[in-house]
Parts: sequence; structure tokens; C-alpha cells
Amino acid sequence: MTDTLDLDRRQLDEVTTALLERHCGLDHLRGRLDAGAAHDAPLWARLAETGLVSALVPGEFGGADLTPRHLPGVLHATGYHALPEPYLETSVLAATVLTAFADVPGVARRLASLAEGSLLVAVRISDLDPYVAFAAEADVLLDVAGDGTVTLHRSEEVEVESLEAVDPLRPVARVRTRGPGTVLGVAPELAARVRTLAVAGAACQLAGAARRLLDLTVEYVSVRQQFGRPVGSFQAVKHKIADVAVGVDMAEAAALSALDAIDNPDAAHRAAAAKAYAGQAADRANVEALQLHGGIGFTWEYHLHFWLKRVMSLTAAYGTTTAHRRSLATDLLARVPDGGPER
Amino acid sequence: MTVKTVVEQAGAVDEFRAEVRQWLAENVPAEPLRPWTTRVGFDQHRQWERTLFEGGYAAVDWPVEYGGRGAGLRHTIAFAEEYYRARAPERVNMGGLYLLGPVLMQYGTAEQRRRWIPDLLSCRTIWCQGFSEPGSGSDLASLRTRAVRDGDHFLVNGQKIWTSMGGSADWIFALVRTDPEAAKRRKHAGITFLCIDLRTPGVEVRPLTMVDGTKGFAEVFFTDVRVPVENVVGDLDQGWKVAMSTLGFERGAVFGDHAKFSNDIAALAGLVRHRGLAQDSLALDELGRVLVETEVYRANVYRLAALAESGGDLDRTASINKLYWTEMQHDIFATGLRLMAEDGAIVADPSAVAGVDPVTADAWRDWHHRYWYARAAMIFGGTSEIQRNIISERVLGLPLEPRPS
Repeated sequence: MTDTLDLDRRQLDEVTTALLERHCGLDHLRGRLDAGAAHDAPLWARLAETGLVSALVPGEFGGADLTPRHLPGVLHATGYHALPEPYLETSVLAATVLTAFADVPGVARRLASLAEGSLLVAVRISDLDPYVAFAAEADVLLDVAGDGTVTLHRSEEVEVESLEAVDPLRPVARVRTRGPGTVLGVAPELAARVRTLAVAGAACQLAGAARRLLDLTVEYVSVRQQFGRPVGSFQAVKHKIADVAVGVDMAEAAALSALDAIDNPDAAHRAAAAKAYAGQAADRANVEALQLHGGIGFTWEYHLHFWLKRVMSLTAAYGTTTAHRRSLATDLLARVPDGGPER
Repeated sequence: MTVKTVVEQAGAVDEFRAEVRQWLAENVPAEPLRPWTTRVGFDQHRQWERTLFEGGYAAVDWPVEYGGRGAGLRHTIAFAEEYYRARAPERVNMGGLYLLGPVLMQYGTAEQRRRWIPDLLSCRTIWCQGFSEPGSGSDLASLRTRAVRDGDHFLVNGQKIWTSMGGSADWIFALVRTDPEAAKRRKHAGITFLCIDLRTPGVEVRPLTMVDGTKGFAEVFFTDVRVPVENVVGDLDQGWKVAMSTLGFERGAVFGDHAKFSNDIAALAGLVRHRGLAQDSLALDELGRVLVETEVYRANVYRLAALAESGGDLDRTASINKLYWTEMQHDIFATGLRLMAEDGAIVADPSAVAGVDPVTADAWRDWHHRYWYARAAMIFGGTSEIQRNIISERVLGLPLEPRPS
């Protein structure tokens, strides 16, 4: 890890957190929920102004020219604040794909639009996730197929069936293409990288959302009084929270380092492990957060549900916990010889 | 003894790794040693410690002045990764190496360091930890073993129990109460950290048979045992502070031990294949879960190393680390037993049982032994429940439990 990278990261994390605290607080989330639309053009424009939207876009197309290794904290913050925008999809996945195909006619122009915040792009990785996040909101859909074929579809070339999502602020859809679209190229390595970015990126978001569930719960049980004392002073409550804290802390360690290792040969392996663990830890955070909030957590009016639903949505996205476990186990089994436990 | 160089001067991590790998290839015994809980096995392990010491590898992370190689964290992790990769023998002087050694470097006098560290490092002296007592487990500060000053000696009376390696150790570092009056004001006060030669008259060590039938720990009785005053480590009556630092070492990251768990996961994968479960979706999920847990642990080890290198505070991470790795370790071995299905009930001589391959008999037995060790690890060094108390109150800042005054 270079010191400059570290410094840049810290700066990015601060900028992101400050922006989201100010413009993506509870009022914003409630507003989007009431409006029945997650994406908010003014908020996306703000994200673009700070350079976050164009983080991975090369300078020649108006981007900030950073690498995914700059973004673990930013993605974590998008989960922590339950940002209802396609940041992972447009700014990480699509920016990576379009940059790789910048020479293909028409792509550079779209990359520049993405960078300035005027183009939302959804990404379909069918062998990882059958659904497409923010497909209905997107201007363009990129299809990254298992064989490495990357196809661009304009919104009029696809039929989007919006689904009733568990997290209305992370909308998902089923997408059917109406025509062949524009094949940008066949790039198995790029496809694998995009896939790994999706998995590691979602793990970072999930860790962030789980961290928020932990923080909200610690805050609540510290002030909620029953039997004449804060409920958080009861050991039965504390021990549940301690288990959640261990899971969240470890999920952060794995997720942030998986994205940091994106250029390593074992990147896909690490991303899968991070996503599986973050899902497992977030499940626990979800269960205990609601349990320990009691009745108030169950109300629409209270804000806990934004994060309960976000972790459910992200746990199911980009490869479930079980799917990643099984594929990791299958890879390992292919490497070990038969013969029982070794000494 | 070979000439030792300071590792940082010896070059990059990769060079050091290559050096270690070659040395291990030339020195690790071809045949696995007998378990250290047997007499023969114990002597074999002690001999191996001697070999490590002579090679300059007994404690690579220790300062050169104490016989280490002055290795930084990255080098220390590389050493451990190579050590486990080579399937080198289990270390038997853990109490001395990981607990007492660091304590002596921090709190010991020059004379104490000179007297105890070299023998500890070469494994001429095996150390055990005398903290727990029959009435003082989690509530360690309630301990009652007394040490009364008698001229230039203390007279020690009391009992320690569940002492790991107690039956094999030469010395014990113990917590004793030196000021019973102080305890009335604050029970952590008036405790002293005292090193005691187990051959002193009045010491009686009774090995305890553990739940799996091995003799891993002991109870130690002290009856008017005379211990020189110069065996006190740290200040008189200030032993709690010293003890807490050893618990910090015990709970904190042992940098590089993730490689040990990776070996266990490989063994578990072998078991899954051996039982014909490689296509079984439930077995894949179970194997995948513990594989993920070990990968996460590895990520955490590197994160803590980076934190330590940048001067961060590892104290806050110690309890999270201990709770995590002990639960993970239990999950690995319990999962193995589950995957063994009916054969999970068989420990001794499984070759006599239909369906169990005779070549795996020793490994089977070892798996059971490791399973019980995993259970022990959730108790020693502060139980999982104590760790949860620490995490919730000291790390997360939850309101304190009302305590009886």
C-alpha cells in the first residue's frame, strides 16, 4: 500500500461521508420512498460535481482517473448511508467496461456523459445475478456475458420489467433485449474483472450497511430504558451486539481488502469470500438489529428498515452467500488430492 | 549455533521466505512427531525446539538481543506461513514464548531477562501459566493463592488449576495475592506476578486427564513454598497490570497463524472428497462456510499488521480477534465431525470399523484431539462470554452492567 493511495483514500472517504451525511440523510431516504423513485437527479449531480461519479473514468474523458483500489471506503459509505443510486453499477462497473472499449465508436461520448453525471448505466452479469439493479432508471444497459461478450443496449432496445423489490431504494428489474444491441467486443479478462468488482464492491456496500445496523442498535439500546436501566446494560442484549460487532468488523476487513486486491491473481477468490462473509455477517446484524429495537424497529415511520432491507437486497445480489461458498468449495476440492484429513 | 542476522537487514520478505523455506525443507522431521502429550512425543518436540533455536528460528520476531531475528511483522507472517506450509511440528513452549517472553521484555529486570529468556527460547525450560484457581476462573481477580513475605523470600500457599502444560513444565509464572488488605478496597489490587521453580519443595503437580483422555493440563498445589523475592516480575502488588498484558498477547493476533487454519481447511476438503461428498450441496456449503471464515481471518491478520505498522492500537482488536478465531476454529473441527457422519462417533482404531480407511486412522484421532482443543480455546485466555463483555462495554461503549459493590 502506497502512502499516496492511503492519503487519497482518506480524502475520498471524508468527501463522500460529508456529502452523504448532508444530502443523503433520513429526510432524503424518506423523500425517495414517498416519491416511489430511488434515483434523484439532483443528488446524482452532486455526486458528479465532487468527482465521485467519474472516479474510474480516465482524465481524457473528463474523469478523476482513479483505480478501484481508491474506492473501498467510498463503497462502504454508500452502504452506510443507504445511498439509493447506482453508484456501484454506473461508476464502478460500467465505467470500467466503457473505459476498456473507449476506442469503439460511440463509447467515448458515452463515457464522457457518464463522467459528467448525465448518463446512468445499468449492468447485467447474468451468470452472477439474474436481476439488474437500476435497470428502469438507466439510459443504457451493458450486458456482460459469461463468455466475455460485452453488449451495449440503448434503453429503447430493452424491455424492462420492474420488480417489486425488497428494498425499494435499490430497485431491481428483469431485462429482456429486443434486438442484438451493439457488441462492443469479446473480452473474457475484462468480464472476469467486472464480475469480481461487482462481488467485492457489493461486499463493501454490505459491510457498510451492516455497520450502520450495528451503530443504530448500539445507539438505541444505550438510551432505551426498561426496568429502570438502559436495555443495553443487560448482558443478554450486549452479547448479541458483541457477536454482530465481530461479524461487521471482520466483514469490513475482508471486503475492503478484497477490493484492494483487485489486481492480484487471487482477486476473484478473495472477493467471493468477502461477499459470502459479508452476507453472513449482515444477516446476523439484520436479525439482531430488529430484535433489539423491539416494536419501534417494526414501524414504517422509524428508519431502521432502510438498512434491514438494504442488507437483504445486497445479500441476494451478485452471488448469494451460498452460491459463493459452493463455488469456493468446488475450486478448493479441485486442488486437493483425495485421501481424508492429512496431518 | 549458526550466525544470526537481523532480518530487516537480511533483505526483502521474499528472500527471507525463501531462506526459511529451504531451512524447513532440510530440517523438518520427515515422520510426524508423536503427540506431545506422550512422554516420547514430548521429548521429540523438545528436541525440535532445540533445532529451531539453533537455526535461529525460535522466535524470529524477538529483538536480536534476546535471541530473536528482529523480524518485522511481514517477515514474521512469512515465517509462520512457511512453518505451517512445511507442516512443521506444533510448538510446545507457547506459554513461555508468547506470554512470558514478551512480559519479561516489557516488565522484567535485566537480571531476569538474562536468567530466563535464553533457556526459554532454547526450550531448556518449559513454562506454564498459573492464573486460574478452583474458585477463580472468569473472575480471575478473586484469586486466593497467598504469598507472604519472609525476609528475602515469599512463602506461597494455595492452588492453581487447569494449568496447560503443567505436567511437563519446569517453571510457572503465577499470580499470587501479596496484599489481602488492598483487595478489600479493590480486588485487582495487591496481586503480584511471581515466577516459581516447580522443583521447589512444597510444590506438588498433579496431572489432570483431559476430556479426551490426554494429559494436557494439571493442578498445582503450593504448601509453604519458598520463592526468592527477586522472582517478582514488575512491581510488588502491581501484578494485575502485568497479567493483563499477557492476556493481551494471548488474545491478540498471533501473526501468521491463519496458515495453520488453511492447512485444516485443506484437510477438511480431503475429508469431503474421501467421503464422496464433492458433489453434495450441503457438504459444499459447509466446507465453503469454514473456508470463507479462514479467508476472512487471513484478511484480518494482514489488516492488523498494517494497523500495527502504522502505530495503531491493537488492544481494541484483541477481544474481537480472540472471539473470532476460537469460534472459527471450533466451526472447522465441528464441521469435520459432522461430515464424518456416523464415523464421527469413532475415535479409537477406526480401521476396525467398516467404511473407515486405515491410512486415515491417525488423522482421525488427531482431528478429534484438535476438536477438543478448539473447545478449550473458547474457555482459556478469557471465555467467549468475557470477550463479549469486553467488546460490548469497552469497544462499543454500551452501558455497564450494574455490578455488586
